[in-house]
Amino acid sequence: MNDDQVRARVYDVTMHSGRPPLVADLAAHFGADAAEVADSLQRLAAGRVLVVRDEVVMAAPFSAVATPFVVDSGSVSYFANCIWDALGIPAMLHRDAEIRTSCGDCGTGMTVRVEDGVAHGDGLIHFALPARQWWNDIVFT
Amino acid sequence: MLYFRSEEHVDRWCSAWRLDRGAVMTLDQGWRLSTAWFSEDRRAPEWRRRTVDEIEQLFGEIGLTSPFWNLR
Repeated sequence: MNDDQVRARVYDVTMHSGRPPLVADLAAHFGADAAEVADSLQRLAAGRVLVVRDEVVMAAPFSAVATPFVVDSGSVSYFANCIWDALGIPAMLHRDAEIRTSCGDCGTGMTVRVEDGVAHGDGLIHFALPARQWWNDIVFT
Repeated sequence: MLYFRSEEHVDRWCSAWRLDRGAVMTLDQGWRLSTAWFSEDRRAPEWRRRTVDEIEQLFGEIGLTSPFWNLR
């Protein structure tokens, strides 16, 4: 088991099921100790490939926890970390999708549809932080 | 990165959070950025995070050339 294999497994499970695997799931898959898996995840986090807090919290564009960015594609619902990531899910899956979210200001429900490689919707995207600050606090970003 | 109904709603959110206005892009620009950023298969053994040079090139190709997008 090396870090590339762990990364691949994290993404494969997430893309198929909608949620990243737990450390215990990865350990069982690789026949490895949980501590070895945790060390690998920490190295991937240090390399900014994943965000890890004991378990995988983010495998961009996917979120392990519920967020206001729900992406339905095929028969799977995913949570995204932000609107950029929400668009990144159909981009990564190479599939049509519907994004259910809400206006960051007033909370009005909004929908984006991605069909045949085109995004349809009426909203605007706002990046609050300059690009060089994104990783200062990636959860806020 | 949040999604808003209009420029007015962006400004109200920035005011509420006492944040300077950042960068606003259309849905189409965001989709092009997401497609360029995320369409690679991260399960592939050869996948690597982009270098700063590569990210700057990508931003440039999408027209994101203001100082907001500087990485250095």
